[in-house]
Amino acid sequence: MESIMPDMQPMNQTVQETPQFRVLTEDQIEQIYFAALDVLERVGSRVHEDEALELFRNSNEAVVSDDKRVRVPASLVERALKSYPRKITLQGRNGKRSVALQKDHVYFGTGSDLPFTYDRKTGERRRTTYKDVTDAARIVDALPNFDFFMSHGIVSDVPNPQTYDRHQFMAMLEGCTKPMVVTSVDGEGLEDLWKMACLFQGGEEEFRLSPMFVAYIEPISPLTNDRSAVEKLLFAAEKGIPAMYTPCPSSGATAPATIAGMLVQSLAETLLAAVMCYLKKPGMPLIMGGVTTVMDMRTTTYSYGAPEMSLASAANTDISKWLNLLMFSTGGCSDSKWLDEQAAIESTLSLLTAFLSGANLVHDVGYIDSGVNASLESLVMNDEIIGMVRQVGKGIRTDEEGLALKVINEAGPGGEFVTRDHTYEHWRDWFLPRFMDRSDWETWNSEGCKTMSDRVNEETQRILDTYEPQPIDDATRKGLKEIIDAAEKRHSQ
Amino acid sequence: MAVDLGKMADLLIAGKVEDVSNMTQEAIDEGMNPKEILENGLIAGMDVVGQRFKACEMFIPEVLRSAKAMSSGMDKLRPLLSESDSRAAGSFVIGTVKGDLHDIGKNLVAMMFEGAGFKVVNLGIDLDTQVFVDAVKEHKPDLLGMSALLTTTMPRMGEVINALKEAGIRDQVKIMVGGAPVTEDFAQEIGADIYGANAASSVDKGREAVGK
Ligand code: B12
Repeated sequence: MESIMPDMQPMNQTVQETPQFRVLTEDQIEQIYFAALDVLERVGSRVHEDEALELFRNSNEAVVSDDKRVRVPASLVERALKSYPRKITLQGRNGKRSVALQKDHVYFGTGSDLPFTYDRKTGERRRTTYKDVTDAARIVDALPNFDFFMSHGIVSDVPNPQTYDRHQFMAMLEGCTKPMVVTSVDGEGLEDLWKMACLFQGGEEEFRLSPMFVAYIEPISPLTNDRSAVEKLLFAAEKGIPAMYTPCPSSGATAPATIAGMLVQSLAETLLAAVMCYLKKPGMPLIMGGVTTVMDMRTTTYSYGAPEMSLASAANTDISKWLNLLMFSTGGCSDSKWLDEQAAIESTLSLLTAFLSGANLVHDVGYIDSGVNASLESLVMNDEIIGMVRQVGKGIRTDEEGLALKVINEAGPGGEFVTRDHTYEHWRDWFLPRFMDRSDWETWNSEGCKTMSDRVNEETQRILDTYEPQPIDDATRKGLKEIIDAAEKRHSQ
Repeated sequence: MAVDLGKMADLLIAGKVEDVSNMTQEAIDEGMNPKEILENGLIAGMDVVGQRFKACEMFIPEVLRSAKAMSSGMDKLRPLLSESDSRAAGSFVIGTVKGDLHDIGKNLVAMMFEGAGFKVVNLGIDLDTQVFVDAVKEHKPDLLGMSALLTTTMPRMGEVINALKEAGIRDQVKIMVGGAPVTEDFAQEIGADIYGANAASSVDKGREAVGK
């Protein structure tokens, strides 16, 4: 096609594929990093697990005091940091390698373990069940903008609290084929979940190449590591299971009240884990994390909707990229008790910020009531928000086709664009709303004056009524049951 | 010139720990009645703090700072007050149950009770049932608080209550429970006396329960 622009090869151009967003400069990141190293050298972090303490002692570099405080020199931290992979590709139980974790690639998913659910029939708040988790799994499997699944709810109708994680994973697998992030009770629990995943993947080696899940593990802010968390982390290191060690500090309560201070402390927590895993087995796929937020000083709530959470999380992502670590972040969640205007506002702000920051796994999408209540409708609503957010991320093309001089020329003054080829080819680049209503008042009125929540509700019900995920074959199902039964048996004494 | 107790209350509201301590000492040195200092200075100030917190005009860090000012004054007054006048608002033992490592919510409850003049023993986290039983025997508190943030650890609170029954000391204490997955219904089910949804409302309920 003949160019109609006089000069299409200008010099000294900078274009950007996508919007650019960052909170911290490299100098600021270094300040935070050096401060975190200082915390590890002077304050240290407490570790309540014997094998890990032994690893630190045997390093002949870390210093372990009688009160189980571990202090680590910068040289060891920096060596450890060099050992982590910059890319992990996750696959679903259907074998699709659908989540390629690498710098600035962003994926969205749910959170886990919500104790309560509003019953869709009675509207009453009740405890979350196995079926609720399977329903959430089906919804996430069906929704186009969700990339990975965490359990959303906790299965509270199972025989033994010590083995709930196996049942929960089973409930997740029943409904969802996408890659997952799993929570587990302890090291033994994680081992069972990993064995269950290996059944789908055809063994440990295949799991390592393209794992089906990432293990979710947390330190206790400030600067404390409990036994079961460390047990899980060391097991993950040994087997090459990707894991995030995600601090959950609340600024002003379990971390300093300044965001920079909270970032310093959580980075020190992350770096300690990086050293611990390195000493166990260099190179395990460790992912950096952080649900960095504020404690509301009126209610004491750990806030999932605060703008400070978005800001701190984005800054944390800047830090992760500078460290060459992958990042597990947070968005699409709310402190609101109900899926209402507040939930929509808070979800949107955190999703947009997390997306622009380039965090790799953005979790907790759909949480309401500050991580206490589950809402399937919230998942559906957030799917739409993610679609909008991704659209903003597409950026603007300023090449010849984008500048559209040809079609402007064709249409001329007073012309139209609806019938032009250029429009026919490009309007599909736009975001196509599914639940956002852009109709005229008459149509809206005649179709029953539906609100956003009506539309979201209908879609939720439609998915629940009609969606069937790819089933689990009988042989695998049998293997899964054996692992769960064996766990029940071990814990029945 | 006589010490201005209204000003002392204002300083307490403003969280001026050292000033409140100094002013209490001045008032004592001037020979003012200790009970009057307590009631018209310190307690008068804390009452306003309580009201302002409810009206969302003061926030947790400020309330805790005022409480610290209050106790700095109390430290000076205590030796001079009669036993009954200096008695704590009540005594409170609190801890997080076995298998549960959530700490900060329980600590905030402890701090707010302390701020309200309770004598508080904070046992820690991840506690065996027996630790609660022993603590009730040892401290004979008016109130026992238990915290659980996990669906999986909640039932431990019921176990503690049963163990207290077995030890024959269940009726010596009022039992309060709280934490994210805990509900009013659950509290009743396991035979607790009070459910506390958050630190501030728990203090109100606790005060009421011990009748002060
Ligand atoms: C921060 C946090 C953590 C931190 C705790 C750090 C610390 N120093 O305490 C860490 C990272 C360690 C953590 C760990 C885990 N957590 Co957690 N955690 C939270 C989170 C996000 C906030 C809790 C918090 O600090 N709130 C702020 C404080 C001030 O409020 P609070 O604790 O609710 O306390 C107030 C009231 O509840 C009440 N109260 C509390 N106790 C008491 C006691 C009495 C007597 C009274 C009267 C009142 C009262 O008053 C308090 C002050 O107002 C909650 C979500 C939530 N919204 O609750 C999840 C949450 C509680 N955690 C959860 C889970 C699953 C876990 C883990 C199991 C995750 C895992 N698989 O590893 C581990 C468990 C570790 C263990 N064995 O305990 C789930 C529980 C789900 C369930 N149904 O059981 C929650 C609900 C989040 C979720 N949906 O996943 N967690």
